[in-house]
Amino acid sequence: MSRSIQPATDATRARLKAIAEKPLSLEEWRRRATIPLTEEEREHTLELVRWFRRRYPTAADRLAYARRAYARWTRSLR
Amino acid sequence: MEGSDFDEIDFFRRVALSGARALLIGRRALVALGLPLLTADYDFWVHVDDAAPFNDALYPMGFAATRAPDEARTKGRYALENDEHVDVLLARGVPTVDGVRVAFDDLWARRRSLTLAPGVEIAIPCIDDLIATKRFAARPKDLEDIRLLETLRAEDEVS
Repeated sequence: MSRSIQPATDATRARLKAIAEKPLSLEEWRRRATIPLTEEEREHTLELVRWFRRRYPTAADRLAYARRAYARWTRSLR
Repeated sequence: MEGSDFDEIDFFRRVALSGARALLIGRRALVALGLPLLTADYDFWVHVDDAAPFNDALYPMGFAATRAPDEARTKGRYALENDEHVDVLLARGVPTVDGVRVAFDDLWARRRSLTLAPGVEIAIPCIDDLIATKRFAARPKDLEDIRLLETLRAEDEVS
């Protein structure tokens, strides 16, 4: 039986934010920072950058896109 | 306020005309450079002596400062708020997670300028310096952003 997905409560969102914002220890930071970029990761990033710069050629276009995308995302959470 | 209600160009125009030495940092700067990322707020690093003109320029848009400039200098940061949220770092220098001091004046000297509209330019750190600012808080998402910036830097060096 399937259950509908409910939007996260404010408390859940706050808890998730706290987890995401928690600083890493220096040891963990250094460990993660030494993980090299894979070719796949690099290619994926470049694909996104090239699309974004082509579709939104100016900095103003890109900033405006980010506002629209964020508004869409927050609406989807309600 | 939804995205369409806020005049972002006017916001940046006011910052540019304020006379404040203000660098756009954080994910919004990465977006301006060409990385499609989600972000909620604006992050600026403002020269420690320039909080007042920065605040004054945005006051007509309804932005209120969470701390007066003197107190903000002591704390090293404050925010400007209306329906938008602007985090302001107000410090001469900030140490990275591994203890390297990053100085505002150095970043300001090496800044890049992006034109948003006729007469509207925003100042952002160069990519190497943006990477340095991503080492302040040591959050997992900062590491992700560093990886993106390193890829972008390599791409821009080639093209």
